[in-house]
Amino acid sequence: MNRYEIRIVGYGGQGIITLSKMIAYASGICEELLVTQTEAYGAQARGGRSWAEVVIDLDRESKQIDYPKALKPYDLLVILSDAATKEVKKEVIKKEENTGLLIWDSSTILGKFRAASKMKNLGLPIQKMALEKFGDTVYGNTILFGIFTVVTKIFSEESAIETIKQFVPSSTLEKNIEAFKFGKQKAEEFLTQLKEGMS
Amino acid sequence: MSNVNGKRFLKPGKYLMMGNVAMAEGALSSGLKFFGGYPITPSTEVIEHLAKRLPEVGGCCMQMEDELASINAVMGASLVGAKAMTATSGPGLSLMTETISMAANIEIPFVFCDVQRCGPGTGFVTVPHHNDIGLTRFAGNGEFEVIAFAPMSCQELFDLTITAFNYAETYRCPIFILSDAYLGHIHEVVNIPPKEEILKRVIDRTIPKDTKGAKFTYEDIKTHKLTIPKPYIVGTEFCPPLIIHLPHNQDGILMPEENSLRFMKIMIDKIRDNIDKISLTEEYKLDDAEIIIISYGLPVRASYRAVDLARKKGIKVGIFRLITVWPFPKEKVKQVVAGAKAIIVPEMNYTGVIAEQVERVTDLNIPVIKVPKVATLHHPDDILKAIEEVAK
Repeated sequence: MNRYEIRIVGYGGQGIITLSKMIAYASGICEELLVTQTEAYGAQARGGRSWAEVVIDLDRESKQIDYPKALKPYDLLVILSDAATKEVKKEVIKKEENTGLLIWDSSTILGKFRAASKMKNLGLPIQKMALEKFGDTVYGNTILFGIFTVVTKIFSEESAIETIKQFVPSSTLEKNIEAFKFGKQKAEEFLTQLKEGMS
Repeated sequence: MSNVNGKRFLKPGKYLMMGNVAMAEGALSSGLKFFGGYPITPSTEVIEHLAKRLPEVGGCCMQMEDELASINAVMGASLVGAKAMTATSGPGLSLMTETISMAANIEIPFVFCDVQRCGPGTGFVTVPHHNDIGLTRFAGNGEFEVIAFAPMSCQELFDLTITAFNYAETYRCPIFILSDAYLGHIHEVVNIPPKEEILKRVIDRTIPKDTKGAKFTYEDIKTHKLTIPKPYIVGTEFCPPLIIHLPHNQDGILMPEENSLRFMKIMIDKIRDNIDKISLTEEYKLDDAEIIIISYGLPVRASYRAVDLARKKGIKVGIFRLITVWPFPKEKVKQVVAGAKAIIVPEMNYTGVIAEQVERVTDLNIPVIKVPKVATLHHPDDILKAIEEVAK
């Protein structure tokens, strides 16, 4: 068992649950890995603080994921609202070189986010970019999915595009793929910077 | 009918499925033809999904005016030969117990899915709480046995629902699937086998060749062996002349009062005599275990992790999992725990309903440690802490 722990926190309506299902689909169905997705259930999923978690087992020999919720420290933590920043502490994210990353939206988190500077983090104005480039904040989800694809390398680009096809209305497919590619590009830039910073 | 039946089975392959949907698909694969229910959190997705799917297979999904009507509609459908089920949560189950007791008496097969939420009363509706474990065991007045399954993953919700329908046909007693608010909403990959494989597993509702045979469970006077006939179907040749929910004989004819004890024996022993066949259990690292975890449902998954972590620290601990919670496999548990240093029972309730059953078995010779949790899952550390405490 080689668990990959993901937690996404924000507010209801941002598409957190959809994003988590897309990650689960790409890993579980396209890449045939074991996966468990859990989500906020009830009024919170329809506004207010919302969350979703995905556990992916990178070990292909495993038969079942034991504990279904994501365990701290996380491999990936995505923070999309001001209120959720409270969750971010040094010890909740893995410190290994090849994993442990905080992704946050600098257009929804308005206050100072000091905790972020203490760890490997990628802050981007995701919702703002989605609105400006693609005309709707919902594309923020696909941008994030693009970022996720690049930074985790759990599933291929083909799997990611196949997943997008399954999840978005066909009339918006083209725009979603553009948003996905945009996210990918942003993540690649981030990885290059990270590499340069290290060397 | 043949063309609609084609949709009974999903295309074989892998699906990302919600727990409640996996259970509904398991029911459809079993040949479900009628669902009667009243939506209640956290079971609503079951009726939602079946409202769409049942008409596709020539079945009927009926949203009734309340829980009483729902369970009675389910019984009516099953009486006329349709595989039938309902899904609800704790408050719905309490309302339905009157009819469940009647169904047990006249041996109508049905499957009851209980997606448990936090009680008592209305409670917290969106959080899990295994607080209907006792209620399912005694769901209704009178003496009768039930069978209850406790799945722990979406794949099991699919597979065990098929087993549940088979048990309903075979044992003709109330069958429960004990899910919860958490399990019902997890998304996991469910592997749907090909139609042929599923059909091999399914026991169909058919009329036996000997339509004059017994319609209800009976005891052979000489050998005292119990026979459970196939379920009768109202409106066919294979139907008792009278269906009354009073103590009755194998033809449905009223028994004299003095024979009531014999009738109770039939109600109870038809399950107890078959406990070895009915009871499904699983063992994990039990061979050399000194500390034994006994659990069911989602806490088992946290226990797997806790056991692995404890083993790394050199503690000999294993898991005995109850897949069927009722009937409680007293003898099997007795064998498994013999010589154990301690038993840990993590349960998603405060009382420890199964822990109390274990205590009865062990006669208090072995300490039974409860690890209660309500409204959320056990963290593996909760169980690990209990293991380390005992191992000291």
